[in-house]
Amino acid sequence: MIRTASRILAALALVAALGPARVAGAEELNLFAWSEYVPQSVLDGFQKETGIQVNYETYASNEEMLAKLLSGAASYDLVQPSEYTVEAMVKEKLLLPLDHAKLPNLKNIGKEYYGQPYDPKLEYSVPYMQGTVGIVVNTEKVKDPITGYGDVFQEKYKGRIVVLDDALEIVTWALATLGLGPDAVTKENLEKVRPILAKWLPLVKVYDSDSPKTALLNGDVDLGIVWSGEAAILLKEEPGKFKYVLPKEGAHMFIDSLAIPKGAPNVAGALKFIDYVLRPEVSRKISEEFPYTNPNVEARKLLTKEERDNAASYPPGNPKLETFRDIGPMAADVDKLFTDLKAKSGS
Amino acid sequence: MRQETTGFTAAAGPQRPPGTAGWLLLAPLILWAVAFVVAPAVIMLGYSFAHRGTLGGVVPGFTLENYAGVADPVYLRIVWRSIVYAAITTAICLVAGYPVAYLIGRADARWRNLLLMGVMVPFWTSFLIRTYAWVTILKSEGLLNSLFLQLGMIGQPLEMLYTPGAVVVGLVYTFLPFMILPIYSSVEKLDGALIEAALDLGAGPMRAFSRVIVPLTSPGIAAGVLLVFVPALGIYAVNDILGGGRVDMIGNIIENQFKGNARNWPFGAALGTTLLVAFALVYAWVSRRQRELAFR
Repeated sequence: MIRTASRILAALALVAALGPARVAGAEELNLFAWSEYVPQSVLDGFQKETGIQVNYETYASNEEMLAKLLSGAASYDLVQPSEYTVEAMVKEKLLLPLDHAKLPNLKNIGKEYYGQPYDPKLEYSVPYMQGTVGIVVNTEKVKDPITGYGDVFQEKYKGRIVVLDDALEIVTWALATLGLGPDAVTKENLEKVRPILAKWLPLVKVYDSDSPKTALLNGDVDLGIVWSGEAAILLKEEPGKFKYVLPKEGAHMFIDSLAIPKGAPNVAGALKFIDYVLRPEVSRKISEEFPYTNPNVEARKLLTKEERDNAASYPPGNPKLETFRDIGPMAADVDKLFTDLKAKSGS
Repeated sequence: MRQETTGFTAAAGPQRPPGTAGWLLLAPLILWAVAFVVAPAVIMLGYSFAHRGTLGGVVPGFTLENYAGVADPVYLRIVWRSIVYAAITTAICLVAGYPVAYLIGRADARWRNLLLMGVMVPFWTSFLIRTYAWVTILKSEGLLNSLFLQLGMIGQPLEMLYTPGAVVVGLVYTFLPFMILPIYSSVEKLDGALIEAALDLGAGPMRAFSRVIVPLTSPGIAAGVLLVFVPALGIYAVNDILGGGRVDMIGNIIENQFKGNARNWPFGAALGTTLLVAFALVYAWVSRRQRELAFR
């Protein structure tokens, strides 16, 4: 007992002496990622091959991840920020540059993922999954054609709409109807958006970012503006009943990436994990469980025809897609506008 | 008798400072309270005067801007609404919970434990799962609607889920046991002879209830009111799940400052501090009322 205790003390002293850089050694990898996003089979496969044990801790929003990372309460080797958060983290020097020599499988990532404004050369982040935010229509209940945000937010659909409970999302939809992109979040434009949202929000029945498909499946609403992964599941479960439409005004495309935060104890292991995930057969497993758009073109070739034909995962045609940009302190104004209008429209 | 009913704030027995041994015994509790109650509150207070960091977090400094933000009508309206919801919930819990607590407290000892168990059984299941169960009950193709449709009571499914009514149902369901249990513990101690005396001396049942039973059980009522009102003011999960996120409560707003788009920790801390002060005031008021009631 005493011996164990003194060993622990000795180990702690050693840890303190060596600093955090060598604590984990080659045995452990701390992955901090979105919930419902990394299949257990991928973690098991990685551990089997490399002997590195992956500790998968989850979050539900980019901001939650930042909050934990900034508090310094735990040290992570890998995080999974979305594009606008990558941009903010690079600006604040919170990410380590990636050694591309250690990532031979990076070649599998599609060309279109290079040149994005948040990290044009993928110096700091490697796309993990990509998705869109689009409109789900219950075609049994809604007969009129729905092509954009304007068609959804009509008086006749009052109380039949679910949207993401996300201030920035909703504000950018309204911006899109004015022909403005998601980078146009300024004080003046927020004032232009206010009357539009004041008209839209009273029509909404449910705000849900976690599982917006539930209200659609339960029949409580007939229209939704939701994550494509959620939509893909609806399309798969009830084929023919639900349709996925990318708004003609322009849709939000998000790219969730793997990145290594500054101070990561196990950089080598993190790079190994990224490269492992980039393998076509591994990436394919992720698509199977979480049917977002796979940025890995080699993995796409391994998908079934049904998976490839799912319009929510792989939208046909050439839709207008835009990524979010870091809007800095404007975030607080966006949040306040949304809070205000929501409070006024709710009962 | 008096001593026992003077309330949950008054200590029984003569007051004297604890000796060395007493302090040693108290030490773990004091340490715990300092580490997990005082320290976080102090950090929150400090944050509430700081500036906002770009990615969240705080930049040290001193500003009253965050408190000015709390006073903004946008947020005051939400604070007010949260208070209204919490008050309605407390009132319903009191009216519905008191008779139940009274019956359990006066029930035969054999039944008492069984009935108490009935009140506590729901706690064995996660609160979130129980709240999601209400979704199944209330949704438009749900249990209640199918029942009503089958019985021919309605022709069209009623809109129950994602309404303010659903939020109140969820809140009352969640907090009812917190009202029943403290009142029960007061009722259990109630001396039946006092009620008989009141009736013998000419008080009708209503009068005996309002002048004897209520004052004697007032510690339980006060504790129940606090145990329901305070958490009901801060809770946001019920609101999200059963209200469809349409009516923001103060808890939603605070969460958003840390985990949502806003990334405004100091403002969240200022809201939290304001709520803490509000709780302290409610606590002081309720314990004073309760003492007045008991001594009347």
